[in-house]
Formats: sequence, C-alpha cells, structure tokens
Amino acid sequence: MAHVKVVRRSMRPEEWTDLRFVWLKRGIYEEKVEVTDLTIRDARQITENQYVFEDGEERTLRKGDMYFTPDGTAFIRGKAVIPEHMRGKNVYLTLWTAAEMIVKINGKFVGGLDPNRERILLNPYIDRPELMIEIEAYNRSKPDDERNPESMAIRGCRQVFEGMYLATVRDSVQALVYDYTLLMDIAHSEYFNEDYRTFLFRELSKGLDLVDFDTYEGVDEALRYVEEHIYQNTDFGGSGNVALVGHSHLDLAYYWRRIHAVQKNARTILIQLRLMDRYPWFKYTHTQAYTYETLEKYYPELFAELREKVARGQFEPVGAMYVEPDCNIPCAESLTRQLLYGQHYFRKAFGKTIDNAWLPDVFGNSWIMPQILKKSGVNYFVSNKMSTWNDTNRFPHNNFIWRGIDGSEVYACVPPTHFITWNMPSQIQENWEAYQDKEVGGQTLSMYGYGDGGSGVTEEMLELASRFEKLSVMPKTEIMGGSEFLHRNLEGNKNLSVWDGELYLEMHRGTFTTKSNIKRANRKLEELLRETEIISTLRWLKGEAYPQEQLRSLWKKLLLNQFHDILPGSHIHPVYEDAMADYAQIEKELMEILEGGRDLSDCDILNTLPWNVSVLCGFVQDEKGLACRNGVKGSYTLIGESLDTIHVIDGYDFDEYDDDEYEYGDEDADEEEDEDDTFTVHLLSNGNLHVTGLLVDAVLRPDGSFVSLKNAETRYEEEYVREGGGFNKLHLYADNPGVYDAWDILPNYKDKEIPLTLEKPLHVVRQDELTLELSCTFTTGKSTWEMIIRFFDEHGAVEVEHRVDWHEKHRLMKVNFAPNVLTRYLTCDTSAGYIHRELNKNTTWQQARFEVCHHRWMDMSEVDYGVAIINDGKYGVGLEGNEISLSLLRSTIRPDITSDMGKHCFSYMIFAHEGDHVKAEINRRAIEYNTNFRRSDVYFPDVLKEVLGESGLVLQAMKVSENGEMVVLRLSEQDGRRGRLRFPFRVRILNMLEDVQEEAVDVSYKPFEIITLGISPELLKN
Amino acid sequence: MGENRGITAGEDVQTYIEANLAPRLQGDGGWVEFQGMDGDTLQMVFRGECSKCLILDRCCHWMEEKIYQGLGERVRIQAIRRKPFFWDNQ
Repeated sequence: MAHVKVVRRSMRPEEWTDLRFVWLKRGIYEEKVEVTDLTIRDARQITENQYVFEDGEERTLRKGDMYFTPDGTAFIRGKAVIPEHMRGKNVYLTLWTAAEMIVKINGKFVGGLDPNRERILLNPYIDRPELMIEIEAYNRSKPDDERNPESMAIRGCRQVFEGMYLATVRDSVQALVYDYTLLMDIAHSEYFNEDYRTFLFRELSKGLDLVDFDTYEGVDEALRYVEEHIYQNTDFGGSGNVALVGHSHLDLAYYWRRIHAVQKNARTILIQLRLMDRYPWFKYTHTQAYTYETLEKYYPELFAELREKVARGQFEPVGAMYVEPDCNIPCAESLTRQLLYGQHYFRKAFGKTIDNAWLPDVFGNSWIMPQILKKSGVNYFVSNKMSTWNDTNRFPHNNFIWRGIDGSEVYACVPPTHFITWNMPSQIQENWEAYQDKEVGGQTLSMYGYGDGGSGVTEEMLELASRFEKLSVMPKTEIMGGSEFLHRNLEGNKNLSVWDGELYLEMHRGTFTTKSNIKRANRKLEELLRETEIISTLRWLKGEAYPQEQLRSLWKKLLLNQFHDILPGSHIHPVYEDAMADYAQIEKELMEILEGGRDLSDCDILNTLPWNVSVLCGFVQDEKGLACRNGVKGSYTLIGESLDTIHVIDGYDFDEYDDDEYEYGDEDADEEEDEDDTFTVHLLSNGNLHVTGLLVDAVLRPDGSFVSLKNAETRYEEEYVREGGGFNKLHLYADNPGVYDAWDILPNYKDKEIPLTLEKPLHVVRQDELTLELSCTFTTGKSTWEMIIRFFDEHGAVEVEHRVDWHEKHRLMKVNFAPNVLTRYLTCDTSAGYIHRELNKNTTWQQARFEVCHHRWMDMSEVDYGVAIINDGKYGVGLEGNEISLSLLRSTIRPDITSDMGKHCFSYMIFAHEGDHVKAEINRRAIEYNTNFRRSDVYFPDVLKEVLGESGLVLQAMKVSENGEMVVLRLSEQDGRRGRLRFPFRVRILNMLEDVQEEAVDVSYKPFEIITLGISPELLKN
Repeated sequence: MGENRGITAGEDVQTYIEANLAPRLQGDGGWVEFQGMDGDTLQMVFRGECSKCLILDRCCHWMEEKIYQGLGERVRIQAIRRKPFFWDNQ
C-alpha cells in the first residue's frame, strides 16, 4: 500500500504562536506623530565628505515621495516640536529606511538609522521640545548584512520615503517582544533540546493567551507568566561558556567606494556610542587605525566622545593594523607598515599599543605573519574565515597557538562561527557546539553585530544579552571586550595545540589572480617605496631633508589599497578606478622625490641590494637602451657590486626580422644564421624551432611551449622539460565559480578547456649580440595574446613576456610548466622566506590546496638541479601533481563586470639551474628581477657595504625612524640560515615599532628572521 | 522635442548616459549600457546588480528625468536585463 504523505492544512499550534508574535510587535509603538516639515537635497559624494549637489534647491519631502538617487547622498532637514502630551515620556525619532543615516538634532549627534534599526531615543540629547533635524544619508543598494526580508526586498537606488515620526513606545510590549524574540528563536532552533522546545512552544502560547491584541491589555500578565513559567524553570540544563564580543565588520571598499566608508564608519561608531549611553555594561570592539583617523578628521565631536569611552573601557580599539589588509599578497614590509603606522596611531590617539590583530574577514593568512605581529607588539591573532568558509576540510582548532615560518608564536583564535551574528541564542549555541577546543581553550568567542558595511550592535542584541542568564538551557555567556577574551583564555594557556604553517583558506583562491593590474601596481609600488626610502635616507645622511610626512602618507595610501576587498579584486568598478588613481598618484610623488629637480643623467646607477648583482635578472630603465621589457626601454646587461654602483653593458646593433623570412612546415630543417649572431635558429620539419646559443639549447613548438630546454651553465646533458608535459604552455579554461565570481576558482576549473587559435606561430622578431626574441600570437576571437620569448647571451635563463588585449568573460588563462624534476613539493616565495607546498594529492588537505599564493618565485628542484619561475607581479599558482601552473588572467563579472578587461603586459623568467633553489640563489635573482636599478646622486656608507655586503640578508627597508633620530635598517633572512652581523659600533636592536629593545655590536639572526636595527646617523657618515 | 531623433540624438543620449548616468549606477554595483534608440524608445542593457533589481523601474524613471533635464529629450527606457548565469535561474 502506497504511503501517502499527510499535508497538514490547518494551523499548527506553533504557527498560531508565530502569528500572534507578529501582532504583538505591531503594538510596540504607543503613538506616532508624523514630522511633516521636511526638505531634502540630493548630492553625490566626490571625495571624503565632499559633495556635489544636484541641480535644484532643497525640495519638500513628504511621505510617499521618491528619494535617493543611484550612488547618492541626501541631506534631509526638518523641524518638529514634541507634542505636549508626549513630553516627560521617552520620545523616539523613527524612520524605516534602506539607507544609512547620521542624525543630528539641535546640532548634536543623536544616533544612526539604517536597515537594522528604525528609531533613535531622543530624551538624553535634547533640552527643549523644538527640534532642528539634520540628516546625512548615504543610500545603499546592497543591504546584504541584515536578516530582514522586507529590507532586502526594497533595496535599490530609488526609495520611497516611508515617513518620519516622533513616537512613544509601550515599554511593556517592547519588553515582551524581546522576551519572545529570544524564546521563539530557541523554540525554532534545532540546536536546542527537543523536549525543551516542546515545553517552550506550549508555555509561549499560554503567555500570549493573556494578551488582548486590540488593546494590548494583559501584556504585564504575560511578562509575569514568562518570568515565572519559563525563566524560572530549571528542569532543562545547558552547557558551554561563550564570550560575547560586540563588533561590526567594516569593509573600507567593496560594493561602495572608500570615500563612503568614512560615513559608514561614523554612523557605526555613533550607534555604538549611543548604546553605551544606555547600557553602561556594553563593550564594543572596533578595528583599523584608518577608521579612527577619518573619524578624528571629519567628525571631531564624535571622536572626542569615542576617546572618553575608550578611557572608560567601553569602546575598545582592536586590530593594531592600519587597515584589515589582505594577508596573502602584501609583502613582509607592507605587513610591517600596516602595524607600524597602525600602532603609532593608536599610541598617539589613545596612549595604547594594541596587542591583538583582528582580521575576521581576510582570505587566509601568510606564514610570515606571526613574526611580524610579535615584533610589532601583537601577541594575539583573530581571524574567522578558516572555520566557517573552508570548502573541504574543517580547520581543527579555534583557540590555539600559531607558529610562524621563523618559529615565532602568537596566541590565535579562529572563532567557530561567522563574525556577523545578531546575538541570537541559536547562534550562540551553534558557536559552542562547533567549538573544538572545549577542554583546553576556555571560553569560545562569538562576535555579534551587523557588519560588512558597518552598522554593528542593536538595542535588541543587548536586550537579549541581558536575558541570557535567566535561561538554564543556554550556555553561560559573558559580555566582554576582545582583548579581555584573549587574555583570559589564551594567555599562558599551556594546553593549547600548535598550528605550524600558513592559515590557508580553502576558498577565495581566485583572489590571488583577479584584477591583475592592481596586484602588479601594488608589487611595483612596494618596490618603488623601498627604493625611494633608501635613496631619501642616503640623502638625509648627506644633509638633505627627509620627506618623512610625505613618505608616510604615500605608504598609508598603498596600505589602504591593500584592504582585503581592494587588493584581492573583490569590488565594484569604481573601487578599481580609485585604486588605480591612487597608485598613479603614489608613483608620481615617489618619482618626484627621486628625480624632481635633479639632473641625474651623469650619476651612477645604484645597487640597493646587499649582494653583487649579476647580469642574470636585472634590468635598467633607459630611454637609450636597446632592450625592451614590458614596453619599457632599457638594458638587460649589467653588473654591479653589493650596495655599490652598477655598470651597464650596452647592447649592440640588432636585426629586425620579418615574418616571412621563415617558411614553416618545410620538411627540411631551415636555418637562418648570421655569423655575427650569438644565436642560431633552425626551423625544423615539424614546425618547431631549434634555438642554440652559447648557453642555451632549446626546441620550441609554434605555440611557444618548450619541447626541450638545456642549459650549458648547468648541465648541458640534462633535459629540463619533462617529456610529454607542457612547459610554458598556455591553457584557457572556462572559469565559472558562481556568485563568488571574483573570489573563487573551483577545483573543476580544468574540466572545460577553450581552444586558442595560433594566429602567428613562433618566429624571430629581434636579435642582437646579447638577446634573441621570438614571438607568437594567439587569438580567441575576442582577445589577442602575444607571447615574446627572450634568450640571453650571458646566461641560460629565458624570459617570457605577455602582451595581452583581453576581452573575455568567465575565462582563466594559465601557463603550465612540467619540469623534468622528481619532487613532491613546490617551493614558493612568501616575500620573507619560502614555504613548501605539497604536490601530491593523497589527503584532502593536499587536494584542497590546488591553487595557492606565492610571491616573486616558485621552484621545483631535485638535489642537483631544478627549475624556477620568477615573476614580476603574479601570485596564483596551480598545483597539479607533477605540473604547476602560473595563473595569468581571469575575467570575472561580479562584483565588477569589467574586471581585468583591456591591455596587460607582464613577464616571468624561466630559470633552469644547478643545485636547489638556495644554492642557485633563486631568491636573489627574483629580487633583482623586481628591482628598479636607477641612477642616483648618493652612495651607501662604506660601513654598510662592509657589514651587509654578502651577509646573505635582504635589505627589506632602510628609512629614517619615525622619531627622526635614527637610520632604520630592516634585514630579512630568507634562505633558512643562521648568522651574525658584526658592526664596528653599537647598534640599537629595535622591534618593528622602532622601540629600542637592546644595544649590541654583534647581531645574530636565525633562519627566516627579520631584524630591525637603529643606527645613529653620525655613525654612517663617510 | 521629439524631432530629429535619428543617429545624432541617439549619440547625444548615449554620450550623456555614459558620462553622467552610468557612473552613478556603477557606484551601486550596477551597470547600464546604451543599446539603441527607436523613436523615443531608448533601449538600455542593465547588468550587475541592476540586472536583478526589484525596483529597476524607479531607476529607469529617474534616468528618463535626468535625460530630459540634461538634453531636453523625452525618452522612454526599455530595460533589457542581462543577468549573470548564477542569477539566471527563473
């Protein structure tokens, strides 16, 4: 007999309770009096807190009118008088809106309105019944951080004005609504005991039976009923211990430009300040020194109030860093500056050094971070995503110790649940159940407060929190600050597990590649800032002024654009335009510092690297140069002493070749040889080209991929290309990750490969005594892709440059390499040491890391030889068994439908080498490849040449200290060695905040250690 | 108004939209492109967040008003939604 599913059509008792709860909420407002004397003026924000007003004067704003415009800010003004009969009661200003509003009354900031809150209590902030209302309102069309479906439904650029009111509230109804909000959440949640939920539904129904929903009589009786029958019931027990930390995540740019974040931040802070007025026990944590800076600059009254609340311990600055940056792509010096400028701001503003990093939303964290945090006064680290977003493996810890690449350790918390919650019992219970360190980690951390676009904690969240202790079924909860949670539960906790490695996020793997131009500009400017600071410091030693303020400001601009939705590429188009404009401005000002008003044409080229520079990977920009890389003229051939001058060996005459000089497809090998040329190129019968030079022997297919590569510098008999594998082989894939388009690359991205049409097969385009250039061109029908392959006379490395006009949609271009190397791991640069990434796919952890982040180089080596790929601005790497792929370009459409469209130019060097990557000095070559060797009017002091030259350390930064008293050297060990520097005088050993730790003549260092030294300028004058 | 709505008028409207209105929609995660003009009917392609906006008609009306204010041209926008594949499920 067939089973017939019973469909219950009549109302279940639970639904009857749900329905009456809706009716109960309708009774919250006792009375509403419409504010009718309102005007509005539309504007568009053009920069931080500056607006262009649209045509027309202020117009009257009435209920039912359309208001707001796309990307618009509205200024609403009004007048009202509190009616006589309302005076003496709590009076609220109410307005239901999808926009984000800062409200001033009679000149005072009284509160904020947004999709998560519709009313502001006025009494504490007004001293007369006549009200002058001023509202600054930024419209937001993407309210994606609230749970209210009504709000989601009305999102959009044009809103209907729902009316503004002065209102009084029935306090008892409001209290009962909070009780029912709390209890209904438990009753509906599967995280709680089923018997308790049955009990709860029964008692909640009985409570509502006492209420007359026409007159709201009986509410007091219902309150008493809930108190006596539910709160006082202790038959049902719960377990757990959860720390509740109020927080609002604020993306500085995302679906809005960074100029809008100024208002978002101010609104968020205002809302928290007003809650603190009403709930003295409420504590709130807020990150990012930048947000405090903008508040101080544009809202000084609010900042003064905030400072008082900080002094009282209610408002808690957390995070230590300047912004919440992406933590994969910025180099070690950038991360150091995030902390240096962040901490110096917090010291100046609040007299505090923040001892925690608070990065809830970042897309994974580099292994180099613990050391940088530790040396910047940070002992604690918080980041959520690995627990809640990993797509394959459950991250095994929540409260633990994170050990970095150099062995430095920080206490770490990866909270079990999302950083945006609304403090519901079900969310707290879920957090406790997901918590994996119950036995050793103490309390678990649950952040509450709306976020992404700010907003934060609501009155409701605090009212719920005040009731939690009355419920026996809930975990024990405690409202506290972030620092308090970390100190209480992690400090000195000997039982915590250790995670030794990067905190890889098993999601958002596309953010290593999306928006190629941003990543490339960031790399370029990180290097340009380094060079400018070095040269400016050397000039300072000669007596010139050091542009301290300007350099700090330019660093901050770069750091701001390292925010975790800017540098990763996950933002709307105007954010991209802002970032590129910022990059152009930074470059312009740095070049002005370097070259402005100076004739450097007769100056020597300065080697800022503490090792002898070879011809291998350097490039000197020079208009007269015969070579050309990425569209810039210059010379490849140079040689220079450590921290000294570089000499360029100019190229000679070169030959330009026409395409038709080669007859492809000829059965017989065709040879083009000029007896003056260093290289010979043979066209083989199968269409391949055989290139031979003094140091290289290669066979290439017409598509630029290598059949064979041999290097006379190493072992001419060894073949570097694995037979049957692709090597420098372009692959175009369909790339359809879905809603998280800019963020993700899915594990199945190789399922559909898109054929490329080879429009121009590989042919010689240029040759001189030093270089040979070959080129081939592809087309997809929409895009053209030229690959230029360069061979050099002086060494066996091969440079590949790509010139692309890119007009794809949902495509990912990669270039694959299958070296003839037997190894189970790929070594990747982190910018401050290297990390091994396993290539085998035995475990789900290995499988999940199919796309990882690297910095300047990656290498596959055996004991005696290997192949490195050195890039000039790429970060994404695919691990595909014994083959690797460099991710070149994507073409995502959300959040920016134009992402990566247009022209691109980038290069990498294929470096077949003897020994492993350390013996082959791959890291040095990669740094050289990314360094601009330029003419300069200064030289390094002899003592630095003597001490640092050939020390093996990388000169990560050289600057004048923030206090203007010392030369600061930041030196980074990146090969995994110990060593010692011996100075002829005492130097100060600093932390990364430039605080003096000790003084010494001998400075020892450990593998992968970054040391910061301070030297009196007098000691460095030659 | 209403005369000479040929290529020239269309180009004017296109230029006006690209210079004045498209950046506004981009600021909210949306995207609009001029598709063509037939009489006083202006065909516009909406992408990004605009493609699934529930109140796009309000925005179109605003654009019609802005075009009238800017060019003195009365147009009626015909909105063509181009949803990305991951939202194209209905």
